[in-house]
Amino acid sequence: MKAIVDCNSFYCSCERLFKPHLDNKPVVVLSNNDGCIISRSDEAKNLGVEMAGPYFKAKPLIKEFNVATFSSNYNLYGDLSWRVMETLRMIVGKHNVEVYSVDEAFLNLEEFAGDDWQSFAMHIRKTVEQWTGIKVSVGVAPTKVLSKIANHLAKKNKAKTQCVVVLDNEKKINEALQKTPVNEIWGIGHSYAEKLTGMHAIFSAFDLSMRSEEWAYKNLGGVTGLRMIKELRGEPCLEMKDELVNKKMIATTRMFGVNVSNINDIKEAVATYASKAAEKLRRQQSAANIISVFVVKKEQNHNGNFHRGTSVSSYIRLPFATSSTDELVKPAVQLVDRLYEKNQLYKKAGVMLSGLVPDETIQGNLFVPKQINNKRFLMNTVDNVNFSMRDDVIKFAASGTTRDWKMRQEHRSPRYTTRWDELMEVR
Amino acid sequence: MEEELFFGSAYKGSRNFTQHHVTTANATGFGAAADDYMERGIDLNEQLIMNKPATFFFRMNSHAMLGVGIQSGDILIVDRSLKAVNGKIIVAAVDGELVVRRLSQTMNRVVLAAENRQFKDIVVEEFTAYQPWGVVTCVIHIIENSLVHFLNNGDMK
Repeated sequence: MKAIVDCNSFYCSCERLFKPHLDNKPVVVLSNNDGCIISRSDEAKNLGVEMAGPYFKAKPLIKEFNVATFSSNYNLYGDLSWRVMETLRMIVGKHNVEVYSVDEAFLNLEEFAGDDWQSFAMHIRKTVEQWTGIKVSVGVAPTKVLSKIANHLAKKNKAKTQCVVVLDNEKKINEALQKTPVNEIWGIGHSYAEKLTGMHAIFSAFDLSMRSEEWAYKNLGGVTGLRMIKELRGEPCLEMKDELVNKKMIATTRMFGVNVSNINDIKEAVATYASKAAEKLRRQQSAANIISVFVVKKEQNHNGNFHRGTSVSSYIRLPFATSSTDELVKPAVQLVDRLYEKNQLYKKAGVMLSGLVPDETIQGNLFVPKQINNKRFLMNTVDNVNFSMRDDVIKFAASGTTRDWKMRQEHRSPRYTTRWDELMEVR
Repeated sequence: MEEELFFGSAYKGSRNFTQHHVTTANATGFGAAADDYMERGIDLNEQLIMNKPATFFFRMNSHAMLGVGIQSGDILIVDRSLKAVNGKIIVAAVDGELVVRRLSQTMNRVVLAAENRQFKDIVVEEFTAYQPWGVVTCVIHIIENSLVHFLNNGDMK
């Protein structure tokens, strides 16, 4: 059996943990720079606050119903995410947990014999809630795809299911499949779902599971489709993956918070983002071959129409793969020179690192003399200092010294679990 | 790795040490005689935290629990995985506020008792929103001013 454990409105739950007065009250959490709504409590959902909707659009509703609003506090969410995952690792063993995202993990339950999956799942749910204060939903089924469906059903009707759904026999599986529209199946994207309902009259997951394997191979993207059908029928095809594979691309993009037209300001911001991206790169022990930068102009407002700002980008292929901040800041700043136009307002920029290779096995280039990696040592030291002192105390001067190109976070709560001077006060 | 990420560089939590940790060792291999007795130092995280994912820190901001030695400004270590049973000092959410009190629980009555006569006990009534949050396992009271400064500003003075 496999299980997926998924935190309920994770970011909102994190905010509530230290603010019990928000229990049963509507809560929303905003994205970086307070742009969009990225997490809603059930109460906020019921009020009609839209997921991923822009904050300014939801503002009247938020005011009217006094919805508690928070900027994202990734220090807090990251810490609580670790606690949830660690609790799961302690219950089922480290090797049986696959962290799928910040608030979801697959569990491999093959080692656990028994037939009372309901109690086992309930035990997991209750332990996580007691230890970390985060409410989770648990779906248990023979395959990953089915466990996702089980989890979905658990969340849909929390009162009845108590956030636990187990699909451990054919009857239960078929019932669940019939209740699930194809667009809600894990791995079936928006366009596939439309194709399935429009062209093939397949509406529920059950309809899909009745199709033959040959049909799936032909119409659902080859082997992937075949696996999907098998998984829906309860035949495991997707195995547990190792925890969080290294990323193929690293990006740091931010809104400026205020509109900017001076080239030096943009360079400072881009240098800051490049430093951040380089730090992420080093954390996963990779080096990048390609750096690209994009800038977005402020949207023009003609007759009240909103335009998405136009984005222009450019890239440089580096002479050798690197993870050093200085070797990445330099080309990033050059790219700004290339992209910048005078007398324009810019609102956003981003740095992307791609062509990633493992840092140890950087392939030499015949025409560039190989450099001794003193840089790596320097970078490690910088990272260690920044990590232990926090707040990027050491940075490259290119990132500027007067402004911090950080997120706009007007409603961020204290970092209760990671800062000594921001601990929750009790009376 | 994850420990390092979220709990700061000071917490190594490792049971291994190499010759490089033994400062008196030298290149000849002859160290001071005391090196034979070198062992890992005491780590407060290990001593005071029984269950890391369930342990949280709070700061006390009242004198309600003076009687058990909790002063205003003290740090409390709170373990959510311990059961809040009769007699324990607990953190509880009462009507939306987090408080520290001694739990006094009988068959049909829950009282959160202060350990200071100037404070009234909190009696949990039918319509009181009450939820135990965690059990207080330890109090840290800092008496040296320079340590207070160090904790708040991160530098020695």
